[in-house]
Amino acid sequence: MRMDTVIMGGGLSGLACGISLAKRGKRVTIVASGQSTMFFNGGSMELLGCVNDKTVENPLEAIASLPESHPYHKVGVDRIASIAERVKLLFSDSGIDMTGSANANHWRITPMGIAKPAWLTLNDHLRIDDLNQLPAKRLALMCIRGYFDQPNSMLAEGLRNLGFEVDMIEFTTDDITALRRSPSEMRATSLAKHLVSNNALQRIADQFNNLAENADMVLMPSVFGQSDSSDFQTLQARTNKPLRLVATLPPSVAGMRMMKQLRHYFKMLGGTYLMGDTALSGTFDGDRLTSITTAKLADMPLKADNFVLATGSFISRGLKADFERVYEPILGVDVDADADPEQWTRFGVLQPQAYFGYGVATDNQLRCLKQGKPIQNLRAIGSVLSGHDAVKMGDGTGVSLLTAIAAADQIRENK
Amino acid sequence: MAERMQTCNLSENNFEQCTKCSICTTVCPVAAVTTDYPGPKQAGPDGERYRLKDPAYFDKALKLCLNCKRCEVACPSGVHIADIIQQARMRASEGKRASLRDTMLANTDLLGTVANLVAPVANTTLGLFPTKLVMHSVMAIDKHRTFPAYSRQKFTTWFKRHAAKEQDSYSQHVSYFHGCYVNYNFPKLGQDLVKILNAIGYGVHLLDKEQCCGVALIANGLYKQAKRQARTNIDNIRTSMNRDHRVVLTTSSSCTFNMRDEYPSMLGIDNADVRDNINLATRFIYNLVDEEKIKLIFKQNYKRRLAYHTACHMQRMGWQLYSIELLRMIPGMDLVELEQECCGISGTYGFKKENYERSQAIGSILFKSIEEAQVEAVTTDCETCKWQIEMSTGLPVENPISVLADALDVEATRRANGIK
Repeated sequence: MRMDTVIMGGGLSGLACGISLAKRGKRVTIVASGQSTMFFNGGSMELLGCVNDKTVENPLEAIASLPESHPYHKVGVDRIASIAERVKLLFSDSGIDMTGSANANHWRITPMGIAKPAWLTLNDHLRIDDLNQLPAKRLALMCIRGYFDQPNSMLAEGLRNLGFEVDMIEFTTDDITALRRSPSEMRATSLAKHLVSNNALQRIADQFNNLAENADMVLMPSVFGQSDSSDFQTLQARTNKPLRLVATLPPSVAGMRMMKQLRHYFKMLGGTYLMGDTALSGTFDGDRLTSITTAKLADMPLKADNFVLATGSFISRGLKADFERVYEPILGVDVDADADPEQWTRFGVLQPQAYFGYGVATDNQLRCLKQGKPIQNLRAIGSVLSGHDAVKMGDGTGVSLLTAIAAADQIRENK
Repeated sequence: MAERMQTCNLSENNFEQCTKCSICTTVCPVAAVTTDYPGPKQAGPDGERYRLKDPAYFDKALKLCLNCKRCEVACPSGVHIADIIQQARMRASEGKRASLRDTMLANTDLLGTVANLVAPVANTTLGLFPTKLVMHSVMAIDKHRTFPAYSRQKFTTWFKRHAAKEQDSYSQHVSYFHGCYVNYNFPKLGQDLVKILNAIGYGVHLLDKEQCCGVALIANGLYKQAKRQARTNIDNIRTSMNRDHRVVLTTSSSCTFNMRDEYPSMLGIDNADVRDNINLATRFIYNLVDEEKIKLIFKQNYKRRLAYHTACHMQRMGWQLYSIELLRMIPGMDLVELEQECCGISGTYGFKKENYERSQAIGSILFKSIEEAQVEAVTTDCETCKWQIEMSTGLPVENPISVLADALDVEATRRANGIK
């Protein structure tokens, strides 16, 4: 089967690149082995949160000071602002409503109650633009009885540290109590699936209106909206106070919803999404990749003019390590990593870890290197790239999105 | 050395690769509609840890699993979650007899043979409200269900009378595993396949012997019988391959998946030497076109808007691409690919009284999306999805092979492929 572009990896980066190409009428196939790390996303995108242990206020300004090896330099520092705008458009076209600006970080709230710098946040989630001007004085933190994926006391303490007055209010409804039958599986996603009827939402709104009288804002875990934000809007319309969601521990409803919306939009544009298939190997002809094979299409190689590697980092198996080396398992392209395994990790889980920065080596056009030479029609995007650190720098989703659009542009320009 | 240490620790079904991420539970169609089912993570890898200690930890709720395999498709760690659940059910059922209802539903070929003989009577009787009421209360087969109509003439009878003779005149040959549905309920699908394959120069042959693939036997706990039938089928497929050099084509995604993947994992039947020779007809034809070995010429002024539904087992095989791309070759075809949702029937599951409501609740997302798609008909590779969608949406459902046969200009295709 022949495509214009085949993308290995169906997460945030692969989909953004696929949408960008399909929108220009290209035939694109995405090979996605299972769900992605968006499953852990709390409803925000980040561009750059921290450089040299300093919190970034203006990501666009701070990006220029990053080392040359950072993927943002391969996107082109002068192009970041315009690509960032296109990402916002891509989201709104997919039906994802987010707010934020590339030259002024706002704050998102983690499930633990920590404020972290962010670029875009879903409109129904709590977002703080200015820590000196909180959006509410007194919060009613609604805690669902029997739901364990929100550490309520920590969250409340974190919010108080930010200056909110917080009332922790436990509540339940008959619908929620019924879900406690499988206590181990009472997760955000099961709540979102069962709390959809108008009656179920009304019963929750009644509780809010009874219990949260003294607050100026009602805050509750992000357990609504498996396919769009209409359930949240129904609930808001029936609640007397402004309502905001706060990220939960995984599984994240918001992350899954965004993936569903992106996938849907990609398919609407004519894209092919091979869910649950895995790219296995590639065939090279000189400095070009001619086809890849997948586990399920077996005897039918996927041929294409261009290929994109968007397979993610270690957790997604885009990178692998054994006792001797770090490697890219599908195509065997070059990897930037310390040769000595002793250097990979450092004692202490919260210490900066060298392996976070490992990834596929690319030239300044995001083309993968194989034995030091660029493969002309193979680009790497997102978390599989070397030279960035999502945990330390808060640049994970930004690198995924910006390199995705940049690679799509390069594919088009090189034609 | 290092590599060996890691592989030695791997157990069956990638059991230890589970990271407890819960992704499987979020895509489970059963857990989405009922709290009675604990979800695939709990029912699968989590529960397995207990069951390994003591089989008494088996939870009866596991029978609610549809075996749709969506958990496996979503799993980022390659754990065979549904296999773990099904194998646990299998171990727990050892020594227990299946109910009369389950035995009857599972024996699709036996039921078909009897019903064929008295097709008009059977169709009328099974459709009558009093019969349905008796079946509902006595047999626990839900009264809302209508049994698929039985054909008067079996496919194999038709084939032997009207088609078998000329098949040797072609230069290339395939065997056809027609399955129960084509044989007893809908011979036209088999006839459509013969029509297409003949037009591109392939003679079609039956296996020396074919038995029901056993997908319903496995689902209803009749493992011994399933194993017997599986052995017969694999032996005959092997003969087709080794003696006749013919691949074996199917037109049902569930028969295909069952014979390729469930025979070894559920029944312990070794099919490694023949597995690649069991192929879905749409995939076989697509590959021939893709390799430019054949040409398909379509009728002019053909115009249809259809929705493609990916059956769960089709998705597990990852082959929907072939059916979709094949249909998209038809000029005038406006094909909507539906979001991949379970229709809720899962073979015989939805026929059972205790499952009816759950079955319809599971399918509701799909039915809504079909309604929104504004199409004249739905196309899917699975016959039980067909019954469920026809009953629940009122739209006709066709196999992609029938759609293709209808759109094909047979004479022009024969000429284009040099067939007299």
